[in-house]
Amino acid sequence: MKKITGLLFGVFFLFGASWLGLVAYPYLTFASLRQSKDDATGALAPMGNPGTATQGARVYAANGCFYCHSQYIREKDEGNDIDRKWGTRRTVARDYMFDQQVFLGTSRLGADLTNVGVRQTDPQWFYRILYNPHTMSHEVSMPAYRWLFETREIQGQPSADAVKLEGAIAPPSGYEVVPTAEGKALVEYLLSQKKNYALPEAPEATE
Amino acid sequence: MKETAISELDSRAEQALHQGDLPIVDRSIRIPVLIFFGSGVFWLVVASVLYLLSSSQIHTPTAWWTFPGVASLSFGRVYPAFLNCYVYGWATCAAIGTGIWLLARLTGVPLRSPLFLILAAVLWNIGMMTGVLSILAGATTGRELLEFPPETAFILFLGLITVSLWAITTIWNRKPGPTYISQWYLLGAFLWFAWMYPTANIALGIAPAPGAAQPAINWWYVGSLVDLWLTPIALAVAYYLIPKIVGRPIHSYSLALMGFWGLALFGGWTGMTHIIGGPLPAWMVTASIVAKVLMLIPVLAAAVNFHLTMKGNFGGLRDNLALRFVVTGAVIYTVYSFVGSIISVRSIAQFTQFTFVTVIHSQLGLFGFYSMILFGALYYIVPRLLNRQWLFEKLIEMHFWLLVVGLGLLLVDFTIGGLIQGFALEDPQIPMIAVNDLLEPFLAIQNFGAFLLVVANLAFGIAFALILLISVPARKRQVAIQRSNEASESTEAEVSVA
Repeated sequence: MKKITGLLFGVFFLFGASWLGLVAYPYLTFASLRQSKDDATGALAPMGNPGTATQGARVYAANGCFYCHSQYIREKDEGNDIDRKWGTRRTVARDYMFDQQVFLGTSRLGADLTNVGVRQTDPQWFYRILYNPHTMSHEVSMPAYRWLFETREIQGQPSADAVKLEGAIAPPSGYEVVPTAEGKALVEYLLSQKKNYALPEAPEATE
Repeated sequence: MKETAISELDSRAEQALHQGDLPIVDRSIRIPVLIFFGSGVFWLVVASVLYLLSSSQIHTPTAWWTFPGVASLSFGRVYPAFLNCYVYGWATCAAIGTGIWLLARLTGVPLRSPLFLILAAVLWNIGMMTGVLSILAGATTGRELLEFPPETAFILFLGLITVSLWAITTIWNRKPGPTYISQWYLLGAFLWFAWMYPTANIALGIAPAPGAAQPAINWWYVGSLVDLWLTPIALAVAYYLIPKIVGRPIHSYSLALMGFWGLALFGGWTGMTHIIGGPLPAWMVTASIVAKVLMLIPVLAAAVNFHLTMKGNFGGLRDNLALRFVVTGAVIYTVYSFVGSIISVRSIAQFTQFTFVTVIHSQLGLFGFYSMILFGALYYIVPRLLNRQWLFEKLIEMHFWLLVVGLGLLLVDFTIGGLIQGFALEDPQIPMIAVNDLLEPFLAIQNFGAFLLVVANLAFGIAFALILLISVPARKRQVAIQRSNEASESTEAEVSVA
């Protein structure tokens, strides 16, 4: 049995090393991250997300958005994310300290969404894309998330968040397309994707 | 010294088994192994259908056959459902079934009661079923390859820990004699998987890690799952079947051992290569890149060993279909690992990460390296468990060639398409929409490759159903698969002298 004891020890400790380095280390050290305080203004960064955005993260997960969209910006010498105007600096661990769930993603079949709330501030823009992505391009791979909307009869005044649709996909007259609670939460989440504050460990990229 | 020991061992253990214990050992594990294999094939068929659906969804998301507007059949749910069915349904069930069979044979320890292993198979299938339905219903954790909700993961864990405890006690109680190299790999695999799976589920589900630690743990898990669960299982099969079928001991035992320790040393560190440039301390990513490149040492050790064992016996690839699958898988392992190391280097990853190059890389590993070897294992093991023969050799030939052609097509298509995508992504002048448009022809072709793979897997499903349902007793020297096995067993005397 001597041989197998040695084998068991080796198998255990070699894997244990990676467990210490890649599981235990980030688990313990990232928990001690604190907000950064701007010396001049006293402003804290990052700030947490509103509650509806956290619900929206569940919708983001449930519909698998992260299989095609990433949420991190690489350093200038590791990629052209900053030239693509997806962000003005790389993202670091502190950027994600308040995120209940982090969706880094590994595919960019779609655009990076780290700062999508900076680029687009109008909920209507998100509603239109989610309802009918093919307004962007006929060939786009993104599916239409129709189940995040409902078509209903207009009661009195049209709803403020009714989706503005034209042509063949417009609802019949007297009806409107409105986002469901899930749809609203998702857009709330996307609008909150702003990592445009300054952090000392990630200075703005210079040309 | 060790090399002669292993060749003696081969014959001695084999002789002992053939003289009396083999039928007892084989019979004792028949039912649990067949249940795991049957489950694996079932999930392979389910995974294949979902895979074809998700492939056409990224090409023609509005076509009626891709179910536009149906939430539970949308790409964001079908794709993870496919991947989980493939990895935990097919790959893992096939791994456990093969692991049980190999361990019982190599240790010469018959299974006292099949009940626990059957229970493990039942638990595993309940977990799979609820897990896949949860993903389709939108109740996913949203973490790559850990999408099953915690309750489901717990059911799977119960099944897993049962199998792992059995594996470890079986090796512990093995008949005296030196240890087979396949046993090392199997022991490692069952131990590592039983460790990484609960760790990742606890650290991401029950007591979630803070912020950026989540992707680190998630990708530590995925890297380990591939390199320390699927890979050692496939290598255990190759180290057992190649020498067995060609009737000659493994070329170098010490080289095989070196490969094992290399895998154990680097395997757990490779995961961060999926998120190069991510918000982690640079040393974590660098450690992964270094590990990924150093992985070439164990890969080359295996490749050289297999090649030198096969030398002079390559003719066997024509006659013996099980051997053909295993050796093809072993060759793809080398290619897959080289590609993996190359695309992990920072300056290259800049252009390949986020693209279809990484997709085809993991598909090459899953569909090519791993599945090819495990298909070979099933083609070898199932007739021996049932004492029957495979019907319609043509169906197996078809399975093989459709896999090779389908995978080859995907490899060419996604490599070219992925590189174009990567260079376009890195050119800020090209808008994102235009990058997606550039991919159109490649997404069209991948439909066809996916279709070939699905037909191949269905052919395998049919072959498996036929051998289960129709009893044609094994006749000597009739079917090629059987035939070369007889040949190998008749060479045993020579081996023991060698």
